[in-house]
Amino acid sequence: MGRLLLATSAVVLLLLVVISAFTTNHAALENSAAVHQPAVQDKADLRTLQARYKILSKQLSHLMPTQPYILVDTARNRLYVKHQEQVVLDAIASTGSGTILDKPGEGNSQWIFDTPRGEFLVKSKLTNPTWIKPDWAFIEEGLAVPQNAADRAEQGVLGEYALGFGKGYFIHGTLYTRLLGKNVTHGCIRLNDSDLKGVYKLARVGTPIMIF
Amino acid sequence: MNLCAILFLLAFTTPSWGKDIEVFPDLNLNNPNELKEAMRVLEEELKLAARPQTYLLIDLSGSTISIKGRGVGLHQIPIMVWSAESWKDLKGIHRLVARPQVVRRKVEPGAEVEQEPISLADMPADYVLSFTPSLSVTVVPSVESDNLFQSALLLGKVGWRNVKDWTGRLLMDRSSEPTAHLRLTLSVNHAQSLAWSLVDGMALVIRRPADK
Repeated sequence: MGRLLLATSAVVLLLLVVISAFTTNHAALENSAAVHQPAVQDKADLRTLQARYKILSKQLSHLMPTQPYILVDTARNRLYVKHQEQVVLDAIASTGSGTILDKPGEGNSQWIFDTPRGEFLVKSKLTNPTWIKPDWAFIEEGLAVPQNAADRAEQGVLGEYALGFGKGYFIHGTLYTRLLGKNVTHGCIRLNDSDLKGVYKLARVGTPIMIF
Repeated sequence: MNLCAILFLLAFTTPSWGKDIEVFPDLNLNNPNELKEAMRVLEEELKLAARPQTYLLIDLSGSTISIKGRGVGLHQIPIMVWSAESWKDLKGIHRLVARPQVVRRKVEPGAEVEQEPISLADMPADYVLSFTPSLSVTVVPSVESDNLFQSALLLGKVGWRNVKDWTGRLLMDRSSEPTAHLRLTLSVNHAQSLAWSLVDGMALVIRRPADK
């Protein structure tokens, strides 16, 4: 009971201090207004601008991801998982090679093996994924594109996990760990096994992926 | 009893929702002109950060180029020197018409030897970016290099670019719409890094120095 009384008195005292500070400032403002009207007007304008600036800054901060997000630097082949300003995971990756491959029988049409840049979301999380080889994988090897869908399935080449972010692009594992840090992929983002496991654990469906 | 006291105190404590962010660390909060310019940029940025995309912020006051997404700075590039013409046209949101051309290597189907991927070193360091509405940004590399031949080559390229700029302006039809022009000097590596990160249609906002 005694503690409650003590806490109540502390709060009342705090309120009194705040009210007195407010009235003092207000009085000071009124006094100076009588003597230097333009200066006070300038100060008031400045305060309005400062307040507006803070509001806008806060509005911008509300658009920033509050949950962990994935950041991919395709020029330096790095993948980070960040939570606000903190780097939770820092991994060496492999991203798109930027090379091109002609589409047979389609005139000037080509595949461009770039990792897409911009903002994406994790759309799917897979364990022990199967690679369904696209047409370019066969054409690149000089092989005929199979008619049977089952002939496209390949197990064990994408590692233990894969995170899809749309249009057939994935963050996945690799057998070619010696190529990590280089631009060698067809657009997907490759990681080593332990980093892939870390990203898989930290990311959810809906986690933003920022790629530049 | 203790819990009651804590709850009572908490009820009177002002909560701080969200974290205050320093969008422009160099901003002088007591300079109304700086505040007005920062607010203008923030208002533009709020429109861009509300959508899933990456965008550019050229901060002439802070001498940096930022690649941003959702208000978060993803990557920063320092500006060594800059100059600009037609200040009033540097307001608003501009969109990149096309990213700099890259010479891409073609994959030969079935070839034994893997085609070399493109890397940062393949990116141009001396280029002009066209934006809409009417704005051109010339990126020139600084000519600091240990390699004398490379320095001479760069100097020649920059000199040629200057001659082209001057003659272009001399021959320009005065009655046509004026083009805002920004010239940025970056280190070779940073100029290549910027060229790498650009995306067709990418949005740009420019923060001008307050005294302009």
